[in-house]
Amino acid sequence: MGTVLALRRGGRPSLSPCQGRRTLKGALLSAKGVSRRYGRIVALAPTSLEVHPGDALALIGPNGAGKSTLLSILASALDPSDGSVTTGTPNVGWVPQKPAHYQRLSPRENLVLFAKLEGVQDAEEVAGRYIGLLDLPDDGRLTAELSAGNQQRLNLAVALLAGPNVLLLDEPTASLDPRQRRLLWEVAAQVRAQGGAVVFATQNLEELERFATRVAVLVGGELVFDGSLEQFKASPEADVFA
Amino acid sequence: MRRIGLLLKKDLRILGRSPILVAALIVYPLVFAALVGAVVRYAGDRPTIAFVDLDRLPEELTVGGQTFNVPAVLDQVNENAELVPMDQDEADRKLANGEVNAEIIVPRGFASRLRGMVESPQLLLKTARGGVATRVEQQTQALVYELNQRLQDAYIDANLKYVRLIVEGGTGTFLGNEFDVVGLQRAGEMLTEIEQATKDPEVADRARELSNFVRQAQLALGASDESLRATANPIELEVDTEAGRSWLLSAQLQAYALALTLAFICVLLAAAAIASERDENVIGRLARGLVGLTDLVVVKVALAVLVAVVLGLVIALVFGVLAMVFDVTGGEPWARLPLLALGLVVAGAAFGAFGVLVGVVAREARTAVLVAFLLALPLVLLGLLPEGTVEAARLISKAFPFSHAVDFFQSSLYDNDPWSTLAKEAAWLVGLAVAFGAAARLGMRRLLA
Repeated sequence: MGTVLALRRGGRPSLSPCQGRRTLKGALLSAKGVSRRYGRIVALAPTSLEVHPGDALALIGPNGAGKSTLLSILASALDPSDGSVTTGTPNVGWVPQKPAHYQRLSPRENLVLFAKLEGVQDAEEVAGRYIGLLDLPDDGRLTAELSAGNQQRLNLAVALLAGPNVLLLDEPTASLDPRQRRLLWEVAAQVRAQGGAVVFATQNLEELERFATRVAVLVGGELVFDGSLEQFKASPEADVFA
Repeated sequence: MRRIGLLLKKDLRILGRSPILVAALIVYPLVFAALVGAVVRYAGDRPTIAFVDLDRLPEELTVGGQTFNVPAVLDQVNENAELVPMDQDEADRKLANGEVNAEIIVPRGFASRLRGMVESPQLLLKTARGGVATRVEQQTQALVYELNQRLQDAYIDANLKYVRLIVEGGTGTFLGNEFDVVGLQRAGEMLTEIEQATKDPEVADRARELSNFVRQAQLALGASDESLRATANPIELEVDTEAGRSWLLSAQLQAYALALTLAFICVLLAAAAIASERDENVIGRLARGLVGLTDLVVVKVALAVLVAVVLGLVIALVFGVLAMVFDVTGGEPWARLPLLALGLVVAGAAFGAFGVLVGVVAREARTAVLVAFLLALPLVLLGLLPEGTVEAARLISKAFPFSHAVDFFQSSLYDNDPWSTLAKEAAWLVGLAVAFGAAARLGMRRLLA
């Protein structure tokens, strides 16, 4: 619990040396008519979506609904076949479903490398801070030798390095234990508290009800609902969890 | 540039974490180069030839007073071609199957015709079409030339025996018949006796005239030894084998070793490195603005170049030390190291860019390695084909860096005036690197999907 306590004690804990850049107004992230096709297969039909400061937007839908595709497009990790994404800030942190870091490097080496690539000053120091913050192993072991939970936390740490305003989480708690889940949501809450937003794909009803302020439902690659949590609960789309 | 450096450093760190892989990277191409070199050398130089002896040649064959040891003559041929004795049916079948490259048939009556020295006996050569047929023909011609030379000596010796008989006189045999010859020497003496004994001045004049002719004939026939041998061999080839570079330390093998190392290591490494960025799911993270896709291609090509330079110089060092230890001459392996390094850079870039293209097309590291190997192997073998064998193969080979790299390395280490070859091959390698690199960059989006 040491890291959680450290977060609480800090009052306004610094997640990143870049947080001073957050002076955004209006939408942090805006997708206009983005779609993705693989040959004849439509993974995502033309979709428009805006993410505003303070949003905790849950993307839900059955497997293969296009949630990961939409998150990858929002993260600029995947080119849309049509449409465009505009960001009010360059700091978008992306935590893909499958960990995205080098298996033959240690967690510290991964963090230092990505911090340097992000242009973070004092990359070594920042890497050390996130190792402590997210309770990552720092004994020289390669990432490939770590548990799925540790790898997922490293995945989150890499996404946090640049001090994101928008955190995109693709089913982030799938391999985390309850303590690690709590830690993750605390970090996400801090991003929102600092004027940012969190977009997360989930299949977990409890997480949806506890953390989401807004819900977008994708079915068969189409966005069929986008509204507040209360609106969602009252809508027929809530049956997606039935 | 800084980001390229960071990723390059990361790739080298990951590479260094597999000592077995690093050891294999060094040892494998050297072993492979030696094997390919041996295959190329012996496949080209030592065709297998069926030897069909219908005449049942004896162990020893005497021609014109000179005795030939038949197995020894055949052993001599074995240095250049593998002669395998067999009967005609088997030889015909194996030639048809391609198990032997040619058939040499010694027809019945060969030895007796040879001994008779009246008509030329014939050997029959059967070859398959295409392939190494021309080379086999050349080898067999060389064999027949060698045998003819030895037979010529025997024939000349036999003819000179008759000449000596005419000059000196004595008893000789021809086609089994024995006969006596007075000889020019004795004939001259007899004519002098007649000239001195006769009282008839006309007879004395004729005897003197004949005596002059006999002296002239003696002089002329006395020089026949040299002139006969000169007529038989207008140009003689003297072979002087000096302590030059052995095959193992030859320019060719060193160039092959270097080019093979690069062809496999750089192609496989670059292919695996770019594909593993996708396998590790990192490419999406990098492509979000951290590192451009062009930069990623450059990183992997730079990785190939770096490995090529290090491994290439290690190999050159090994060859140079071996050359010093065995005190062999020829080439300038030390003085030309900077030129070699330049070749390693451009060749490494060309092979690396090709590898990146393979990795981009294959998308997965395991598939990329397999495809890279499957592509590199035949392309290397095409580059090993001698010029003029198969035109299409030569053209395909030109579009792959291997043959250009071999020519560059060979020229940079051993040519007295390498500059035009180096400029041409460097231009080829740079052109191929740019072409493969551009194609790889075009396909990079595949890795994001």
